[in-house]
Amino acid sequence: MEDRPPHDDQLVARAKRGERDAYEEIVRRHQQIAFRTAWVITGSAADAEEAAQDAFLKAYRALGRFRAGAPLRPWLLTIVANEARNRARAAGRRERLVLRVAEERRPGGAVPSPEAALLDFEQRDELLAAVADLSEADRQAIAWRYFLDLSEEETAAALGCPRGTVKSRLSRALGRLRERLEAADA
Amino acid sequence: MPELERMLSRLGEELAWPETPDLAANVSTRLDEPAGRPERPAWRERRARRLEWPARRRLVGLRRTLALAATALLLLAGTVFTAAPGVRDAVLDFLGLQGATVERRERLPTPPPERPLDLGSRTTLDEAADRLGFAPLVPQVLGDPDGVYVRQGLPGGELSLAYRPGPGLPRARSTRLGALVGEFRGDLSPEYLGKVVGPDTTVEQLTVAGDRAIWVEGAPHFILYRDPAGRILESSVRVAQNVLLLEHGALLVRLEGAFDRERALAIARSLR
Repeated sequence: MEDRPPHDDQLVARAKRGERDAYEEIVRRHQQIAFRTAWVITGSAADAEEAAQDAFLKAYRALGRFRAGAPLRPWLLTIVANEARNRARAAGRRERLVLRVAEERRPGGAVPSPEAALLDFEQRDELLAAVADLSEADRQAIAWRYFLDLSEEETAAALGCPRGTVKSRLSRALGRLRERLEAADA
Repeated sequence: MPELERMLSRLGEELAWPETPDLAANVSTRLDEPAGRPERPAWRERRARRLEWPARRRLVGLRRTLALAATALLLLAGTVFTAAPGVRDAVLDFLGLQGATVERRERLPTPPPERPLDLGSRTTLDEAADRLGFAPLVPQVLGDPDGVYVRQGLPGGELSLAYRPGPGLPRARSTRLGALVGEFRGDLSPEYLGKVVGPDTTVEQLTVAGDRAIWVEGAPHFILYRDPAGRILESSVRVAQNVLLLEHGALLVRLEGAFDRERALAIARSLR
């Protein structure tokens, strides 16, 4: 039990007391999800890096206002997403998010039969193309909830919408995705 | 979990994400930086020129019986935006506030035909305060509005304050009003409001009493609204007159009229 890594709450409490290594650990723990959340907005790795970095600095300065015991990740992701949106706007451009599948990687690591692989790749490409064809807001909601596996609360935080409306927004986005897949099949 | 959602989750595992940089080390070295370091100096330093607006009493109460909504005019969207993908793609410049975007395109589509302005249901300021998810702001230099409208449908709702034309408030071609003030929670609807301008319209970034703002003036340009998914509501597209967009706390405030920039700034600074 003694080897268990400290909970976010403990790290936050220590960081509030000025222990910088505790905050560094918080950043290390959440940097990947923060960076990817920002990338979904900026479409550029360089902008996402700057946005996530600035967001962590803002969060550090705002730590005093963070309610003890509240989940840290949604709070962080709200700041990250705001920062990424501001950056994308200030830069006066929007790089379209390009999603692609990693090479040489198959689910489960197993090598499927050639027929199964072909079907799988076709389905996957179709799905990717349909996601790419969605509006920016729909694409972001789907990327956060399903690709990054954010919880509904975290997805709401990234979208900047009340938690109660995430379900309906996602369901509308999925509906539009289905329409596109059906149109592609027809 | 339904099939489509399962497929999406699986696809997520196979995506090629860009490599995550070592933020922890970089953040750690920057923790001692002073807060409030300007990230976009050009934006922050370009302060709006402050002009004193002389105290004046507006003549109100005259012809109050006319229904404002019925006299106001609006332009119909038709399918101008979706029917012209080439035009839609040619975005030359893009600015944003929390709740609003402004984009400049190479050329604008043909203006849509007119139709009545739809501001929601008419109410009073007190009732509006009860129904909205924010405290309404009223420009003190304009006094009580001649019409108060509330529209539900977006988080927190949307407030419109209509002012008749009068001294210092010339009639706008777009709304036939002297001034139209719109307010909504920009933090909850980050891209609800959009402005689309052509090459001849002036777009200026300002700071009004510490709030970020964008002034849009001259040459026909469009205003539009988006649904929660970010799609343009075609029926909301209309030609607009001069507009000041202002980020005030959680609110996005829009002032529209035939007035000039200085007048717009004076109105904005008197919002309470």
